[in-house]
Amino acid sequence: MSEQSKDVCDPSSAAEASDSEVNSSPGVPGGLSPPASQAAILAGPETPPLGPTDAPLASPPPQAPSEEGDPKALQQASEEGRAHQAPSVAQPGPAPPAPAQLVQKAHELMWYVLVKDQKRMIIWFPDMVKDVIGSYKKWCRSILRRTSLILARVFGLHLRLTSLHTMEFSLVKALEPEELDRVALSNRMPMTGLLLMILSLIYVKGRGARESAVWNVLRILGLRPWKKHSTFGDVRKLITEEFVQQNYLKYQRVPHAEPPEYEFFWGSRASREITKMQIMEFLARVFKKDPQAWPSRYREALEEARALREADPSAHCPRNSVSE
Amino acid sequence: MTSNHTPAPSHTQGGPRRAGVMTDVHRRFLQLLMTHGVLEEWDVRRLQKHCYRVHDRTAAVEELEDFINNINSVLESLYIEIKKGATEDDGRPVYALVNLATTSVSKMASDFAENELDLFRKALELIIDSETGFASSTNILNLVDQLKGKKMRKKEAEQVLQKFVQNKWLIEKEGEFTLHSRAILEMEQYIRETYPDAVKICNICHSLLIQGQSCETCGIRMHLPCVAKYFQSNSEPRCPHCNDYWPHEIPEVFDPEKEREAATSRATKRSLRSRQH
Repeated sequence: MSEQSKDVCDPSSAAEASDSEVNSSPGVPGGLSPPASQAAILAGPETPPLGPTDAPLASPPPQAPSEEGDPKALQQASEEGRAHQAPSVAQPGPAPPAPAQLVQKAHELMWYVLVKDQKRMIIWFPDMVKDVIGSYKKWCRSILRRTSLILARVFGLHLRLTSLHTMEFSLVKALEPEELDRVALSNRMPMTGLLLMILSLIYVKGRGARESAVWNVLRILGLRPWKKHSTFGDVRKLITEEFVQQNYLKYQRVPHAEPPEYEFFWGSRASREITKMQIMEFLARVFKKDPQAWPSRYREALEEARALREADPSAHCPRNSVSE
Repeated sequence: MTSNHTPAPSHTQGGPRRAGVMTDVHRRFLQLLMTHGVLEEWDVRRLQKHCYRVHDRTAAVEELEDFINNINSVLESLYIEIKKGATEDDGRPVYALVNLATTSVSKMASDFAENELDLFRKALELIIDSETGFASSTNILNLVDQLKGKKMRKKEAEQVLQKFVQNKWLIEKEGEFTLHSRAILEMEQYIRETYPDAVKICNICHSLLIQGQSCETCGIRMHLPCVAKYFQSNSEPRCPHCNDYWPHEIPEVFDPEKEREAATSRATKRSLRSRQH
């Protein structure tokens, strides 16, 4: 990373630090400040870090020089919350805090990250610094490292820097197989059902779904754009704003349409988290038909499933409910 | 010391407290519990079975209470725990992963703007001060001018209140609001610390009480499910404190078996056009 980050906490190196810690052998990893008694309990007799899933962990290498204005943005963002300008001369910094305080910060950060993820909000590095790390910014690398360790050992989750450019982290499941959880409690998540309905419509159409088409489908469920729903609230706001914000859907103006019309597409997050086979299973469940009732879509789903298996054989789930 | 590869012990941990062993069964359980926020007990049992099925088919499913205690012993050093509570109206057991170190409404803080958080605080105060545990929409909305942060109109405040309902912080009944069991679970400590004088406590379980019944003579209060359990099969219910006749209707004790039967018969009758999806 650039030299400007010397005095300032740098999310990419912090993320690399956290990744390498998870990869190391069990026991107290080198480089950590002497753990307080709480951390010692975790560092003690525990199951070893998760095996094969650690392998594809590499955080993206810093690409600062090639990206416009990025080093500046990084420095600016990490200066948020600081009272003074970051001097280019290294100052004699404040005395390092007690290990117990760093541990406490790590716990606070752990909870913060878990809650953000629970609410499907973006975990943004400058927010982490502003809301949690605060004046301990100089030690944020070790705090991040400890937090990642705890998340991996206790929750089986990797705190990964998914985008250096936007400084976004995300919590990635480190346990395999990953897909089954949806099946376990799917009927308790109405939001997912609503989203899956729209995604399925888009998928079956094979192109963007016009807003009018989406409302035709939602009408069957008793949802109207102007009516407040007991579970979903303002449905229109939910699908055109919240789902879009969370990157599950894209909501775009139809080019050249007069009067203006909008259509929905799959968002990047939906493409990452939801497989075509899951859509086929959903359709099969809702319409009580065999997934092969949509032959071309089913073929597509099969191909995607095969491509995913070839890309990462360890992720293949033998208990997939749709037999192939 | 136990080897690193043994699954969670199936016996209760007696003797000196030691941190339990986390396996992938526990980790997945924690992940999913966190994802769902708050879960009813039968969902938690399903979740537990699911985690065993995925990671350790051969092991016997540990008794839920021991399973959770085992996990909690590991979480203790992180100042979080899986907390068990009950819905105040019908006594359904619920579980949530809560942060014990929270000293404010900070869990909600990342979700809501300053004025929205303040609206919640105002609603919370009205609820705690009320006799019934409910605050009317009108009374809450009348406080909109006193909110910190950006000015909020009443129309907007109505929508914010609905957001609280959707996020399971508040429950709405006929235009009145009370705390969701999730909010009670997560904020009990904060509430007791912040409103030590106004807060009501159940005479039986000694936990925070928002809704309940009270003795008209001596004023002690009890949760509805606590009343149900305490006076179960008692034809002449009397106040445990002053022995006066208990003047309220005694509710039924929550029966998970009956509940499940009712749910399955509802599900088979329900047509495909389910509102859940």
